[in-house]
Amino acid sequence: MTDTAIGFLIVGTGMLVVLGVVFAVSSRPRPAKTRPGPPQGVHLPPPSFLPVVLSIGAALIGAGLAFRGEDQLANPFLAIPGLVIFVLGIVWWVRAANREWSEVEAGDHGSHAPPDDQPAH
Amino acid sequence: MTAGTLPAQPAEGHEPIPTHATGMPTPMVGMLLFIASEVMFFGGLFATYFNARASVGPDNWHPPSGTELDLPLAAVLTAILVASSFTMQFGVWAIRRGDTGKLKLWTAITLGLGILFLSGQLYDYSELGFGISDGVFGTVFYTLTGFHGAHVFGGAVGLTILLARATRGQFSAHNHVAVEAVSIYWHFVDVVWIAVFSTIYLLG
Amino acid sequence: MVRSELAVPGLQLVDQDTFNQAFTMHGTIMLFLFIIPTLSGFANYIVPLQLGAPDMAFPRINALSFWLLPLGGLLIFSGYLFGGAAAEGWTSYAPLTAKEHSPGVGTDLWIIGLTLVGTASILGAVNFITTIFKMRAPGMTLFRMPIFVWTVLVTAVLILLATPVLTAGLIALFIDRNYGGSFFDPSVGGNPILWQHIFWFFGHPEVYIVILPAMGVVSEVLPVFSRKPLFGYKAFVFATIAIGLLSWTVWAHHMFTTGAVFLPFFSFMTALIAIPTGIKMFNWLGTLYRGKITLTTAMLFALGFIAMFLIGGISGVMLASPPIDFHVQDTYFVVAHLHYVFFGGAVFGVFAATYYWFPKMTGRMLNEPLGKVHFWMHFIGFNLAFFPMHQLGLSGMPRRISDYSPDSGWMYLNIVSTVGAFLIAASIIPFLINVISSLINGEPAGDDPWEGNTLEWATTSPPPPYNFDKLPPIHSERPLFFLTHGHGHAAEHPDDLEEHPVDDAEHREGLV
Repeated sequence: MTDTAIGFLIVGTGMLVVLGVVFAVSSRPRPAKTRPGPPQGVHLPPPSFLPVVLSIGAALIGAGLAFRGEDQLANPFLAIPGLVIFVLGIVWWVRAANREWSEVEAGDHGSHAPPDDQPAH
Repeated sequence: MTAGTLPAQPAEGHEPIPTHATGMPTPMVGMLLFIASEVMFFGGLFATYFNARASVGPDNWHPPSGTELDLPLAAVLTAILVASSFTMQFGVWAIRRGDTGKLKLWTAITLGLGILFLSGQLYDYSELGFGISDGVFGTVFYTLTGFHGAHVFGGAVGLTILLARATRGQFSAHNHVAVEAVSIYWHFVDVVWIAVFSTIYLLG
Repeated sequence: MVRSELAVPGLQLVDQDTFNQAFTMHGTIMLFLFIIPTLSGFANYIVPLQLGAPDMAFPRINALSFWLLPLGGLLIFSGYLFGGAAAEGWTSYAPLTAKEHSPGVGTDLWIIGLTLVGTASILGAVNFITTIFKMRAPGMTLFRMPIFVWTVLVTAVLILLATPVLTAGLIALFIDRNYGGSFFDPSVGGNPILWQHIFWFFGHPEVYIVILPAMGVVSEVLPVFSRKPLFGYKAFVFATIAIGLLSWTVWAHHMFTTGAVFLPFFSFMTALIAIPTGIKMFNWLGTLYRGKITLTTAMLFALGFIAMFLIGGISGVMLASPPIDFHVQDTYFVVAHLHYVFFGGAVFGVFAATYYWFPKMTGRMLNEPLGKVHFWMHFIGFNLAFFPMHQLGLSGMPRRISDYSPDSGWMYLNIVSTVGAFLIAASIIPFLINVISSLINGEPAGDDPWEGNTLEWATTSPPPPYNFDKLPPIHSERPLFFLTHGHGHAAEHPDDLEEHPVDDAEHREGLV
């Protein structure tokens, strides 16, 4: 078997396994919403796909570096989209964090800001 | 399993779980740890510098023939960055007093000085006459200063975010941990530059 | 693939280049994409529970740490698609990794992918340390934390400080390969030994990063299934910290044969690090002594860990001696040593953790008889595969070779080793069957199936997303033990209970 074929086999199987696990986990029947929410003072940020976005951006930048042509810093077709995704992801993340922080402030203490040491994002 | 749990139990079981609301704020702890890892990263780069210098021999350790380092420019850049640490700290002290206006002013000045530093660095690169592929001196020089510059850029991004949030009135005297965190990152970047400058330009 | 090729002389299955890729990828994946992510995963799940915290300190950065792993791994693997994966050994020595000797893009992808994986680790370390220092439940002083949390703490400090050095080295290698750099190229003033120094300065703390959490798991499992507290909690904590500190001083024992190393210092420090490790052995033996032992599968793996790690530790102390190391460096003796500590140590720890915490994480019990089948197949296969390698190394078989001469006399031991490897592979089958069938309709576990000592057993199985509705009072390192077995007097003076153990057989329901 050629390297490329081995490669397709490994990478393809890996992706299928990951996708399969994600599918299985997210389609598990969830219990009815009978569980109480967190006790007062405990704040969990909602799930977010931003970590995935940033990771994909970083991976694209990395791939651009690896697949650079001669005399290039990086392959622009990979690195530039990667950079854009990464930067947008950061901006989005900061804005989401700000928004959640304001909600926590408003919900917990009204107009009084909580101390700076609550769990961060 | 209910015996011995905390005594006061509201009807629905929603009971406040007390947290450690004391000591250093959590984001500051995170930033300090992150800085510790960055110290080790630069440590690795410094190791390459010193190893290369020792291999080549300190007497043979210089830029490729026909070129030389621009010490005066580097000294000016050092002064700019040190000044920016002061202006950053002025901003921190301002917001600790609740003065958002001064915070914005000092943050903007710090950011400007940082951009000035980076521009000066790029100008220096363009004038030097040797590149990363010109022998081991060139390689370690550009790697060390280049990654430091990248960290300055990262700090500049942080400062920009601070400026944007300050403009939206999100900071107050008892709610500005992001300012504190970015400020110690900026001081770290300054300290690393002093180490870089001393090693490359003063030690030689 | 490696073992199949090496069973008999002659290249039957793969060519040399494919073999080189195989052992390179094997090492890289096992260390960076299997053992560390798996132990991190357990730590991520269990540490907040054991601390009585609702989540990690930085939950979303935690998610970023996770997602960087598959993306980094994808980059590393994708070398196979583009002319061959990295093939210079997971240690990637210069000058073999220079562009002219390894021109393919697989090595560059390996470098970039590993940088992403390293970043994930560093962010995770920041998260763990912050969580442990800032989010402990009230009453939980540092010296009342579970041992697993202590080992995760020291591990996280090692990750935080060692991984960036690897990142620096990887970047330097990338610059050499792609931008005409001269870090490791002697013809332009560079130094190939520099790579080894940078790599092993990371690489040695790395091996303690791998083993310490597994030691923590063993230290959780043994007390529960011996019905006794861990013998010498404080000694264990200090031994862990000592190992963490000493791990920075021994890196050049991987480089004894370069001629560029001050042998007495590194040999001495390496031997020294055996002392805190030995202390831990006595912690574990002291825990077992006169305990009421229950041989669940988790316990079997923990006991197997002790035995296998002992063997690996002994071969390690042998290697610390330069006269011995000079003969066996880069032979199968080293391969035997590293597999006994990584596989017999860390992986046994992973399986112990799996069998111990599966009920908590899924709400289901794993099937014990099937687990024991898995253990014995695994244990026998492991020793068959790796014990002969000691002898192979002593008789001179080098590592990282794809073939050997029929006159060498190495064939029979290689065949035994290959049989062992296939037995290990086969042992995964009962394990997978167990996991899948237990997930589907295993026996419900309840909150505390093992009568555990630590806080994770004080909430439901699986826990709610915020981990706890209520927390028990914490006055010792075994808050749950005192919750269920000792009120009043005992809860105030937990040390008393250690010296005068209560025979609580009449309070105990039968363990599964």
